[in-house]
Amino acid sequence: MQLQDKYRIAILSAYALALHGFESLIPMPIPWIRVGLANIITVAAFILFGFRAAMMVTLVRVFIASLFTGSFLGPGFILSLGGGVSGILAMGFVLSLLPGLFGPVGLSLIGALFHNLAQLFLAYILFIQKIEPVLIITPVLILIGTVTGLVNGLVADLLVKGLKNSGVTIQNTPQ
Amino acid sequence: MSLKETVNGTTLGDRILFILLLIVSFIGIFFMKEVLPQPRDVTIEVEGKLTHRYPLDTDRRVEVGSPFGHLTLEIKDRKARVTGASCPNKLCELQGWISRGVIICLPGRITVTVGGSEEPKDRKVDAITG
Repeated sequence: MQLQDKYRIAILSAYALALHGFESLIPMPIPWIRVGLANIITVAAFILFGFRAAMMVTLVRVFIASLFTGSFLGPGFILSLGGGVSGILAMGFVLSLLPGLFGPVGLSLIGALFHNLAQLFLAYILFIQKIEPVLIITPVLILIGTVTGLVNGLVADLLVKGLKNSGVTIQNTPQ
Repeated sequence: MSLKETVNGTTLGDRILFILLLIVSFIGIFFMKEVLPQPRDVTIEVEGKLTHRYPLDTDRRVEVGSPFGHLTLEIKDRKARVTGASCPNKLCELQGWISRGVIICLPGRITVTVGGSEEPKDRKVDAITG
């Protein structure tokens, strides 16, 4: 990993953490539901710098955010980590298998979908262990994830294009 | 770079995926309950001990008594309700017909459960405080 990559990952992680913290101030009707604003940064990192950078940014965010909030190694942390990693893995797979089919919005939707599915699976295996409540809540979470994934994808797309138009030199580092 | 341009810049794949996800989740929300196994019977517990179990598909009226009170349970059209309870507030009667869930008569220490009655071995305490 080059020094430049480290700087990029550090700055992107800082942005992701700030959004993560800001998001916890937004009141939500149901405690476990989040908009996932930090995923804007994840998607932008994925598009600008590729799979590895996005994975690093997510790992750094999940670990540091959980240390800040005191939920390190707790249930919320396990769900965040599992969801975040699966979301990026899914985005990476889709982009490498079907390049060009999806833009940033589609990738964000796929990330959100697999994020939710992984969290539901983990919650079922580790905490709930009853299939009925998980099955009932699955379509609700997919719906919410689709809406937030769309918004995040659009914002990430705007961010990436805005960065590129602003004349900042961003080059895709070879993986 | 405006939002409108960004929306117009989405690929066909993006749009199809978005609509597909919406359709799948709406179908799931409306039909998931139908797919799940329907409750088969009504169980009655007095002071936490199983005393009666009735199939939900036969209509009937049952008198349930405990040392603390009594009530009448009515089963009809795969639903159950409590009528004629001996307690002062009649909260169990006010709950009306239920097709899934629990009616609890606290003064009589009677619990009526429709479907999903857990076996005692699966029963766990969430938390104890105080």
